[in-house]
Amino acid sequence: MTDSNPYSTAATAEAAEQGLKILGFLCNWCSYGGADTAGVCRFRQPTDLRIVRIPCTGRMDPLFVAKSLIYGVDGVLVSGCHPKDCHYAVGNLHARRRLEVLKSFLSFMSIDARRFHYAWVSASEGQRWQQVVTEFSEQIHRLGPNLGVRKQPGENLKPLDGQKQITIPCPA
Amino acid sequence: METDTMQLHKLVDEALPELDTMIGWAASYDPLRTTPIFIREAKSIPRLIWSPFCAQNLTGYLVKPPALKPADKHKRIGICVKGCDSRSLVALIQEKFVTRDRLRIFGIPCRGTVDWRQVMRQVPLSHVRSAKVEDNLLIVDDAGGTHKLNLEDVLARKCLRCRYPNPVVYDALIGEPTVSRITPEDIYRDVEALEKRPLEERLAFWQSELDRCMRCYACRNACPLCVCQERCIAETRDPKWLTQRMGIPEKFLFHFIHAIHLAGRCTECGECERVCPMEIPVALMKEKLNKIMEEMLGYVAGLDPTAIPPLLTFNPSETGI
Amino acid sequence: MRIGVFVCQCGTNIAGTVDTEAVAGEALTFADVAYATSYMYTCSEPGQQEIQRAVREHNLQGVVVAACSPRMHEPTFRRAVAKAGLNRYMFEMANIREHVSWIGNDRAANTRKAVDLVRMAVAKLRFNQPLIPLKMPVNKRVLVIGGGVAGIQAALDCAEGELDVVMVERRPSIGGKMAQLDKTFPTIDCSSCILGPKMVDVSQKENITLYAASEIESINGYIGNFTVQIRKKATYVDWETCTGCGLCMEKCPSAKVPDAFNEGLGAIKAINIPFPQAIPRKAGIDPLHCRHFTRGKCGVCSKICPAKAINFDMQDAIVTEEVGAIIVATGYDLFDHSTYGEYGAGRYPDVISGLQYERILSASGPFGGHIRRPSDGSEPKDIVFIACVGSRDPSVGRPYCSGVCCMYIAKQAILTRDHLPESNSYVFYMDIRAPGKNYDEFVRRAQEEYGVQYIRGRVGKVYPRGNRMVVQGADTLLGVQVEVEADLVVLATGIEASAGASDLAEKLRISYDQYGFYMESHPKLRPVETNTAGVYLAGACQGPKDIPSSVAQGSAAAAKVQALFARDTIETNPQVALVNERACIACAKCIQVCPFGAIKWKELRGDILKAEVLPTVCQGCGLCNATCPSKAIQLQHSTDNQILAAVNELCA
Repeated sequence: MTDSNPYSTAATAEAAEQGLKILGFLCNWCSYGGADTAGVCRFRQPTDLRIVRIPCTGRMDPLFVAKSLIYGVDGVLVSGCHPKDCHYAVGNLHARRRLEVLKSFLSFMSIDARRFHYAWVSASEGQRWQQVVTEFSEQIHRLGPNLGVRKQPGENLKPLDGQKQITIPCPA
Repeated sequence: METDTMQLHKLVDEALPELDTMIGWAASYDPLRTTPIFIREAKSIPRLIWSPFCAQNLTGYLVKPPALKPADKHKRIGICVKGCDSRSLVALIQEKFVTRDRLRIFGIPCRGTVDWRQVMRQVPLSHVRSAKVEDNLLIVDDAGGTHKLNLEDVLARKCLRCRYPNPVVYDALIGEPTVSRITPEDIYRDVEALEKRPLEERLAFWQSELDRCMRCYACRNACPLCVCQERCIAETRDPKWLTQRMGIPEKFLFHFIHAIHLAGRCTECGECERVCPMEIPVALMKEKLNKIMEEMLGYVAGLDPTAIPPLLTFNPSETGI
Repeated sequence: MRIGVFVCQCGTNIAGTVDTEAVAGEALTFADVAYATSYMYTCSEPGQQEIQRAVREHNLQGVVVAACSPRMHEPTFRRAVAKAGLNRYMFEMANIREHVSWIGNDRAANTRKAVDLVRMAVAKLRFNQPLIPLKMPVNKRVLVIGGGVAGIQAALDCAEGELDVVMVERRPSIGGKMAQLDKTFPTIDCSSCILGPKMVDVSQKENITLYAASEIESINGYIGNFTVQIRKKATYVDWETCTGCGLCMEKCPSAKVPDAFNEGLGAIKAINIPFPQAIPRKAGIDPLHCRHFTRGKCGVCSKICPAKAINFDMQDAIVTEEVGAIIVATGYDLFDHSTYGEYGAGRYPDVISGLQYERILSASGPFGGHIRRPSDGSEPKDIVFIACVGSRDPSVGRPYCSGVCCMYIAKQAILTRDHLPESNSYVFYMDIRAPGKNYDEFVRRAQEEYGVQYIRGRVGKVYPRGNRMVVQGADTLLGVQVEVEADLVVLATGIEASAGASDLAEKLRISYDQYGFYMESHPKLRPVETNTAGVYLAGACQGPKDIPSSVAQGSAAAAKVQALFARDTIETNPQVALVNERACIACAKCIQVCPFGAIKWKELRGDILKAEVLPTVCQGCGLCNATCPSKAIQLQHSTDNQILAAVNELCA
């Protein structure tokens, strides 16, 4: 991204043309496999999605979603195994409660809950993955770039330490 | 009120020999406020009071790090609780931070506590000489004379929507049980009022409210359930969730962290809102989460000591999600 | 930190729609990236050598490869970097093939996306720590739960492989349902004749310890090191001294006890050896029917037992066994046909289950192998078999096919003709499922050689008329209603999960489906493993199946155990949770949510409690990490810092 003011109309249009940023949290066993299957089958998808691989949707702290949307990520997509098919038995059963509660809360806190979606896609469902990604990307494009919660346009969002490494030795 | 205080003194006097500490309220530096008191000897008992000015939730002292060392876990403690405070106690018991058997609970049915900031908004007082509640009036004497205020105009916001005025757990009850000020349909009216407004207005509301936040963490420290305040992820650098920069996104994220960590646990004791020096309606966020808990999962925190907070468990055959 | 970025072209798979040179060029501008290049086939031998060369030459401490899916080649590249001297976890992959180049043709957009994904991978890598697996010793003993044919096969195969086996069976004898069968399809072998020698082997092999009339009380520990508590139920007979002579059974006055082995048909004594081929061949007392226990007087058995083995004061006893692996072979139970009101709901004595008929056919059954009606003991002339009772029926919560009933109906009909040449057998069926070797031929024989009448249709009602039963059904091939008057109606009752299956599953920490059948790791590729390390499945407890399949799974599970025990130590997966004790507030939330019970308390000086993760039990799901309020517990290789680093890269 350039250093220009991201909140002028020209910059917003440029952002939209450059593509929006959708963050995806996919569970390793089902949904990441489903995304791979979609790739193997060459199912076309919009290019906005950036995937982070997690072992299980049970790893999803709702605060990851909150942080992303507060700090201006345009959309967040979480996908995991179908309930009762979780590789770790129950991870997604915890996740669905937490994510559903979060979805309702986001809207109350004036963050557009349409920017957050969670789905259950198994490793064999390549076509379904294509559909989920396409529909969600189109929804985010309709909503436009996410201005987050900033009061003044131009308020620098990026957390200061994005590039610096902080190494704290792991306790043995 | 006086008879209640006398009854309290009598019961505490009887119980004190078996207790290590008794926690209650005492008079403070002016008649509109009280202060928590820790009593270990019978001679201090007359300092205990009960009045509509006893706003503090004393249950936090049972679990908060500065007051509690491992050796203290076995102490027998007497504690005064209003209806709201008693739910905090149940929540602490639910999460096994305290055991019921070492507590001696003096439960006090409550018709609401006075928010001195509301009083000051109605009438700027100075040198308050006396204050008392009679029927539905707050009668205050100060340098400017005697003022009579409607009680409902000066009660804390949480008291106006209190569903559980009577303690839900106690060993002894001080005074008579009372009735709630609100009907069940109106419980979440403050949340609903905000929900009715369009997204842009809500955004403007939260931006202006949270802009005043200075990350003093008073709300977190006053909450009896935030036992992890010394290790709060809003302050720690490993893992680094939040910087110390005073920007709106950071303030939003802190409150998100605080509220989400209380989802399914908060018992609406209102301390967070009471102690906020910037008068931000922080309890609204937890009320919204409690509304979600109740509507989606049929759960109310702080009532059943054996219940598990819903976000720590799951239902395999949950529908509608 | 010095990071190297390798952007793979994958021939034209990636380079066709992504400008890999530009991605590498962009990566060089990221902080900490000391080296970046684009390469044709990174996973190839020269490609891996290029990585190793770059690590050495540029003193790299971490490597990012932007290429295909990590599910494909992460292990390959981890080995490559390990050979170059780095810890294998100082490696990240960005998926720019399945997730970028293969799903779109917009070169500019794809390149931007690839750059972002590399940036996210580099950001995560900055927070990667070297992780070292632990080596844990393996206790080369195996627990087999269930003494049916699957469990017996598993136990024998393990014992054959010089392993110590502990077998726990809740009934007083092993043999399971197969011991209750008369003959088996499609060979019509006598069931006890083929199972008997195996049962004897189990009792005689020195390295098999058999606990019959016992149940699992609790299981703790983890793969290679399980501690099992077994409850030996009181049989009121000392099995150390009982010789199985049967004198007690002869003389016991309490003679009207419903015989469980005969599925409630016929009676047995209160003290009994369950059936002639029982292993262990020991007597046991049923306290619900024994006169000593119910009325306080008798004691005949105690007086006449030559070995003085009767002990009315016996209590349950708990024994502890330590094993390294567990094979679950708990079998099945029959669907309770009294659910079907239209078939008489268990009221008519001549409407019986498939297993009850099996006992009637058996020479050691209630009628000595003569087919008789339970109501009046007369010989039946017309026998109707009804298929799919409690199977393929969503309305009773059993939509699945039990897989064996079509075959056992055919077998029972054939045997009926053998026993009663003048009889007529009718079968009401929906479909015929005969998939195994010689199975379809067997069913045809029933129809063509043994004259069994197969009627395709459902039965609507069974009701008495005089002292016979009327079976009212449909014949869909003829398109008519059919009424058959029968002397005996045999319901092909379906298979359901064994009673108590879900309780045992909780103890084992394995999953089960909505019917109570245990879940395998993968239905096709891992049918005998569970998602719980060290616990394997065999037989009908995993799903309805016939004897050949159960035996095959028994052997398969034994093979898995032997593979596990081929080493003296096992390496744990270091991608497990780890507690930062300074940050832990001992709130117990992680302990509560862990699906595998992998977290326990650790006591420090001064009565301070902290959570501690058992690295061998932790499966690496991260639920604890997501739940912990102070984030003291972190899932290694997927920590908050690592995920947040990737998130921060995307924040505008």
